[in-house]
Amino acid sequence: MNGRGLVIAVLLVLAAGALSFAGVTAGQEMAKASNTPPPAASASARVQQESGEDARAEGERRFHANCGRCHQSPHKFPPRMMATIIRHMRVRATITDEDMRLILRYMTQ
Amino acid sequence: MLQPSLSRLRCKARLLAALLSLAAVPVAHAQSQAQDSEPISPVPIFSAGLAYNTFFQGGTAHLHPLVSPVILIPLGQNWLIETRETFEIDLAPEPGSDGDYKGSLEKEVDYLQVDYIANPHLTVTVGRFLTPFGVYNERLYPVWIRDLQSDPLILPISTGPSGAGTGAMLRGGFDATRKIEFNYAAYFSTLSTINRLDSDRAIGTRAGIFLPGPRVEFGGSFQHLLQDDHSNAFGFHFAWQPPPIPLDIRAEYARSHNGSGYWVESAYRLSQAPVWQNALRHVQVVGRMQQFFNGTVADDALPGIDTSMFEFGLNYYFRDDIRFVSSYGRQFAFQGNENVWNLGITYRLALPMWPGGGK
Repeated sequence: MNGRGLVIAVLLVLAAGALSFAGVTAGQEMAKASNTPPPAASASARVQQESGEDARAEGERRFHANCGRCHQSPHKFPPRMMATIIRHMRVRATITDEDMRLILRYMTQ
Repeated sequence: MLQPSLSRLRCKARLLAALLSLAAVPVAHAQSQAQDSEPISPVPIFSAGLAYNTFFQGGTAHLHPLVSPVILIPLGQNWLIETRETFEIDLAPEPGSDGDYKGSLEKEVDYLQVDYIANPHLTVTVGRFLTPFGVYNERLYPVWIRDLQSDPLILPISTGPSGAGTGAMLRGGFDATRKIEFNYAAYFSTLSTINRLDSDRAIGTRAGIFLPGPRVEFGGSFQHLLQDDHSNAFGFHFAWQPPPIPLDIRAEYARSHNGSGYWVESAYRLSQAPVWQNALRHVQVVGRMQQFFNGTVADDALPGIDTSMFEFGLNYYFRDDIRFVSSYGRQFAFQGNENVWNLGITYRLALPMWPGGGK
């Protein structure tokens, strides 16, 4: 492969990467807007979405496991209030750092 | 000779530029993700628990309004100032009067502490803090949380004269494995005789293990008094919320020279009832059994004699923050048995103290 061919190949990869990134962003926007998975999501977008759903499910599980230890599940608060409440609960109920991050993410989505 | 060399140089430059551009894509993506997961800025919060209970004990009615404001002030990413006060009145018929109810306002600073989150596994607390002996005093005490409005008989054991210590505390939690979480607290409290801020001079610790899968928590507490007779106290706690059903089972045991005892409580929310689900899912049924055995040294906050008690409660949640509470119990003691009834309502509110905090 000569130099020109190499440059074209790299540019093609670059374009594919940019399109993939644009697809992820657009897919996320569409998912936010319609709450349905983007129809033309790329493989990386699917992986990211699945990991996001896993984190949400894990956050929900930890929310019920930790918060339900003491009281009935509260309704969701605005994100900035939730950030304070979860810090208070971290101290009061000695929940772990990992629990705190996942519960905050779940409660603010 | 010069022409091919220049051409190769241009080619290398283009290749380098293309690789730099390619590298910029994941960097931009990572930056975008970092912005998505940027920490949310916390706001100060005013919260409060309110309750109005009517207790009927041994044929006498007690009216018991209570307000318990909480203020949380986060500073930066690692600091938190938090405080809770309690204002309550126990209105009872004045002896010899014609049904006049009288009572005085009782005020207490439950806690006023500064927390510093030193690292993911350690929080340093300084000030007046709830004594971490067992879990009821720290976690289940607020009127809007507790399932039965009466205190367990053993609650005053080793929590100090007002349920709080004054000094410093180290606490935290971490995942020991994916299926086991460990939590701990260790504290030093100094003697304080200041009105509404009183505490004992003591050191103590509590350690617990939480299994998130079966939702089981168990642990133990220890306290050594550094005043008077330098006595020791210890206790155990247990909690279980079986994941498939809305059932809470909790228990504590405590022993000190003032006495020993236990309580076992179970609460079941009827959200899975096969009939009338719209109404029954708001209903919670509670039962508690407890016993206290007198110790060698008397404590005014504890029963003076061996006492047993059972209670049944029925709570109705209008929303998750407002509920009607009721209970019936019977207390057995050497000096006589008596019935204890309770009817009341509890409410919890939380408001941001900063513009834009509600967004």
